[in-house]
Amino acid sequence: MLELPVLELKDVSKHFGGVRAVDGVDLGVARGEILALIGPNGSGKSTIVNLICGLFPLTAGRVVLDGVDISGMPMHARVTGGVARTFQNIRLFGQLTVWQNLWVAQNSGEQRRQNFGRRWFGGSRGARGEVERTLEFFDLAHKSNELAANLAFGEQRRLEFARALSAKPALLLLDEPAAGMNAEEIDQLDNRIRKVRDDGVTVLLIEHQMELVMSIADRIAVLNFGRKIAEGTPAEVQASPLVREAYLGTPEIA
Amino acid sequence: MRPATRRTVAVLFAVAAACVAGGAEAQVRAKADLRCEQASEVLLYDCTVGLVDSRTNEPLTGLAVTIGADMPSMAGAHSVRPVVAAEGPAKGTYRFRLALEMHGDWALLINLSGATRDRVVKVLRFEDGRVGEAPPPRR
Amino acid sequence: MDDYTIGVLSNIGVVSFVALSAYLLLLTGEISFGQQAFFAIGAYAAGIATALWGWPLALALAWGALSGGGAAVLVGIPTLRLHGLYFSIATLAFAEMVRILFELFRYQVEIDGELTGPSGAEGFRNIRYIFDHNIDAVQFLLLIYALLAAALLGFVLLERSRTGVAFRMIGEDATLAGLQGISVARHKVLAAGIAGALAGVGGGLYAHLTTYVEPRIFDVMLGVHSLAYGLIGGLGTAFGPLLGVLIDIGLLESIRALAGYRMIIFGGIVALLLIVRPRGLLDERTMHGIGNLWRRTLLRLRRPGPGPGPGPGPGPGP
Repeated sequence: MLELPVLELKDVSKHFGGVRAVDGVDLGVARGEILALIGPNGSGKSTIVNLICGLFPLTAGRVVLDGVDISGMPMHARVTGGVARTFQNIRLFGQLTVWQNLWVAQNSGEQRRQNFGRRWFGGSRGARGEVERTLEFFDLAHKSNELAANLAFGEQRRLEFARALSAKPALLLLDEPAAGMNAEEIDQLDNRIRKVRDDGVTVLLIEHQMELVMSIADRIAVLNFGRKIAEGTPAEVQASPLVREAYLGTPEIA
Repeated sequence: MRPATRRTVAVLFAVAAACVAGGAEAQVRAKADLRCEQASEVLLYDCTVGLVDSRTNEPLTGLAVTIGADMPSMAGAHSVRPVVAAEGPAKGTYRFRLALEMHGDWALLINLSGATRDRVVKVLRFEDGRVGEAPPPRR
Repeated sequence: MDDYTIGVLSNIGVVSFVALSAYLLLLTGEISFGQQAFFAIGAYAAGIATALWGWPLALALAWGALSGGGAAVLVGIPTLRLHGLYFSIATLAFAEMVRILFELFRYQVEIDGELTGPSGAEGFRNIRYIFDHNIDAVQFLLLIYALLAAALLGFVLLERSRTGVAFRMIGEDATLAGLQGISVARHKVLAAGIAGALAGVGGGLYAHLTTYVEPRIFDVMLGVHSLAYGLIGGLGTAFGPLLGVLIDIGLLESIRALAGYRMIIFGGIVALLLIVRPRGLLDERTMHGIGNLWRRTLLRLRRPGPGPGPGPGPGPGP
């Protein structure tokens, strides 16, 4: 009846010693949607992102990407399979140029084949074109030859986003992309996320910036203490008494 | 990376092959008998080396002999300049004076040139007032 | 050139191979105290090949590279799972093990009426290839530098390739590199293999340069020095470790007044630089600056004439 979801978490748990960071979460992300994952600090949002990209093993459950169980796959294979992410705290290769950051992140299966014979001096024409388009889209073209460490904060955030897109992911995990941004920058981010979604990328967004979440999310899932307590459209979630009680408490999102 | 490695290795081969093309027949092999004793000062040694053809035991005379010194435990790390040996009174003997940097085991590279080109390596233990065979290091 | 100069230049050339070997692993973020082991393996393998098996030098050097690289891959597969200090200790332990094995290793054949071949701690004499083939010291010096130039060319290409950039990514943040789709384990083993092969070629050259090797030569001292060359010369370019070798063997060696104190001064320089410039003299930032300067100069040369100089321009490529 429905198209196969891009990502499915099936009864996923992660325990650190006695701490149940994620506890039996089921979650499906449909193709082409923007799903926002929200919840108070320490509710397990970032842990879920880390589990999806394979930073550490699951305690229980399964992660399924495009119908394939990827729970046991190493990180790099998951990227090739179509998962890319950004970080809550910016993580870039500071001693490499903006160009290099993007170029060597082109690691989807198709890009690898394309680049195999052409791995010098900026790679194949296709690879160069892709990097240029991405730089253009993120307004970084004039910084192409700059070391990533020398960029301003906003530019570094954009570079992270750009790098995550370099591998042409089917699923993009954005971990608090708006942190530290001003209103204008958030506006640009909003536009870019929509544009990326319109290009066919499914987005899983973790964000505290409620205005942004309510504006672009197709659906919202709410976590508290490692459990999913609500899921639905923004309106449904806002109406949920459980959510109000656990997290929204004050009517700041009205 | 594979194409890069392959290309690098190919270049290495070509250069090495070009440099080493063309061989020659075996030459005279020298055998050396080396004796050293401390001279007037500490770390200064007077040595005599007797050189013979290893097959015929004929003394090798009229050669230019230079001696380099290196410590195996710190290879290439000591600035002892090669010294030139002077032919001694006995046939096939050459004498030279060594100024070393420290006591210990030294590999002396005895380089012959002239009618015969060869190098004989002798490892000796130089101590204060005494020079002996370097016993292989015990484990 | 006198014998002494030729000797020092030859030493610089040969040691550069081990320095490049340690540098390559430093790029991927691993500190190896054990590259002298692959230098030793290359030296013995190539020496045995010419002296006992009568192989030509080119083949023997390739065999030395293969032995060094092969050993490095075999050791790398288990040890590269370790990180940081643990990897360093494992490499040190392995190198000492190799050195002690060579103290026990006897393989002698009678050649020209003389027993030739490795004889344990007494060493391996009579690697006479250069005398049997009439190669003089200058010719051998040229061979060393031709191979070194080829290795450097390889590095220049590597640093501009995806693989080279991936090495640097792994060195900066291995987890992050994995999250970009780079197989960290595979790249590290590859780097270890190339590094081992480089050290192996250097060892093969060394054996034929001195005509004599013994296990003591391949002591930790050599490994620590080759590691230090990259750290003082700089990790921004393959010319960094060469600069390090030049500073140590070239400069310190040639100053006679320092005789005997060289190790102390060298140690001081390493300690000082690690504090002041943790990634060496020619670090990534410096090399990036030099690259920009070069690009700007090229632009100016291409568009001559007065007026406001053209900006740096968004140069394509890394």
